[in-house]
Amino acid sequence: MIKLSGKYILKFLQNHYEFVQDAFNYSKPDFIIDIDILEKLIEEYNISNEPKISLSKLIDVKFCRQLPTKDFKINRSYVDFLQFLFDDFTLDLPQTLKERYKTIFELFSALKTETKTSKTTILIQNIINVIDVFLNDIHRQTQRLLSDTESLKVNADEYSDLSKRLEKAVFWIDEYIEPLNKILEKGHPESFYSALVEIQKYTSEKQYIANSFKLKREYKKLYGAVVYARAELDQNLQKLTRELRPLLDRVKSDSIILSGFYHFVENIDYPENYAVPIPSPIKKTKGSAIFKEFHSEAEFFVDQFNYKTSDVYYEEQIEELEWLPDSTYFKEQLLNENKVDDFYLWCFNTLKKHTDEITLSKFFSLTNLLLEDDLVAEYKTDERKIIDLKDASIKIPKVKVYERIPK
Amino acid sequence: MREYPSEHNKIVSELLDGKFIISPSPLFYKIQELEDDYFEFFTKSFNYNLNIEAEFAYLSSDEVNEKRTRDFTLFLAILSRELDYSGKNFRDKIELGSFDINETEQLLRQSSKWEILEKTTVSEFEKFLKTWRGKNLIVLDGNKFKFTKAVKLFFTFAIEIAEEKLKEKTNEENTNA
Repeated sequence: MIKLSGKYILKFLQNHYEFVQDAFNYSKPDFIIDIDILEKLIEEYNISNEPKISLSKLIDVKFCRQLPTKDFKINRSYVDFLQFLFDDFTLDLPQTLKERYKTIFELFSALKTETKTSKTTILIQNIINVIDVFLNDIHRQTQRLLSDTESLKVNADEYSDLSKRLEKAVFWIDEYIEPLNKILEKGHPESFYSALVEIQKYTSEKQYIANSFKLKREYKKLYGAVVYARAELDQNLQKLTRELRPLLDRVKSDSIILSGFYHFVENIDYPENYAVPIPSPIKKTKGSAIFKEFHSEAEFFVDQFNYKTSDVYYEEQIEELEWLPDSTYFKEQLLNENKVDDFYLWCFNTLKKHTDEITLSKFFSLTNLLLEDDLVAEYKTDERKIIDLKDASIKIPKVKVYERIPK
Repeated sequence: MREYPSEHNKIVSELLDGKFIISPSPLFYKIQELEDDYFEFFTKSFNYNLNIEAEFAYLSSDEVNEKRTRDFTLFLAILSRELDYSGKNFRDKIELGSFDINETEQLLRQSSKWEILEKTTVSEFEKFLKTWRGKNLIVLDGNKFKFTKAVKLFFTFAIEIAEEKLKEKTNEENTNA
């Protein structure tokens, strides 16, 4: 290829969009990319993409050029276009911006004194260009600041460190927002904005009274450009003052609260380190609507009569715990007997060996053994016998009990 | 004998109850209107300091050394930290949002700072919330709670600490320079 065509460049960008984006990202913020990284990117890209890319191809399309240090610098024209494509702009310091637009004042002074039509036309075209680039820059700056501030606000990963967030917010306010505000400040005679106002005044008249039809047309163009620029700037200014500034102030004050709380929690055992007293709302004091000093004096006075300790009587309660037979123990006894012909009588007699006071509950807790699965109870006669317990007399049948033989 | 406003009894008894009186309560506007009178009244009668902020008023005393206030500040500090860590805007959430009691307790218990909180009154969370509802710092509604505007007092406290720390840091840097 002898001459590079626009179509060829666009085709290159379209074919290798992902590669270009990677290279662009790696080269930020100075748009210089290390030769090793670039070679690695090419290698990785070529594994899965067709047509392939090479260093010489990149140089052919003027995407980058090699520096004496062997690293590669991306072509400025590409950088501007790619920033626009990826909506990813670098922040310029406002000082840089300011220097860049000083020319507008010089151009405008020259325009006012110029008499030659051809020179006037060139001056007007230059002013329109400066305004255009300026608008573009301001727009980029505002967008970039807004998106960065949003990520600061939502505590994105890289800003999870509190002090970093605070630092960043303060830095942006001091280094960007304030100076940008100054450049755009309406009342300030040296601000870009007031230059626009001046130009608008001058051209609104000139577009009617200029010497020639051609000049009238040129002044009209400039007038249009300035009116448009003012509207654009108003919008940007609004974003700066109404959105960005409060947002950053908010990030700043939120981070301050969190860092204050951090110090508080860290020094919880050393309140003297707070340097600020903790709020001290009072406790509930209702019902003692008297002056505190009087209260303590009165207490002291009353206390002297309190030398006699009062007598307190406690009624002792004796808790009666009834002994209940241990069913496991008695079951063992029962099984040792092999077979019991009169179960209820056996219960009574066995209990008798342990206690004289056979109550109903003691008796029943033993007779409950009858319900055990491994015991068989048989009773055939209707004969009933009376047993006298301590708290009751009961009629009992004659029941034969023996161990069930396991199957 | 001087004239007292009709709200006098209510104002005095609420404030002496240790409650915050919060705008838009009519009591708050009355206190604002009679700022000087009430200031003197509470100082002379009880040796208490009447604090009137932009949106709330309360009594304070230098002699009060309330562990519970320390606990509340701890609770707020750690809640703010956890909300911030989970990517939420803690100030919006605390000033405007409402919190589920159980979820909030879980959030705090999962925090690495719970070891501090569990040694305070915050450990019995529902009881803790009820205590501060009694002071008008919290509004309870079923299984949810909200902070009232009085919570800003504790944010101001945090800002003051941070600013003091910043000052200390600048002084140190200046001495070292």
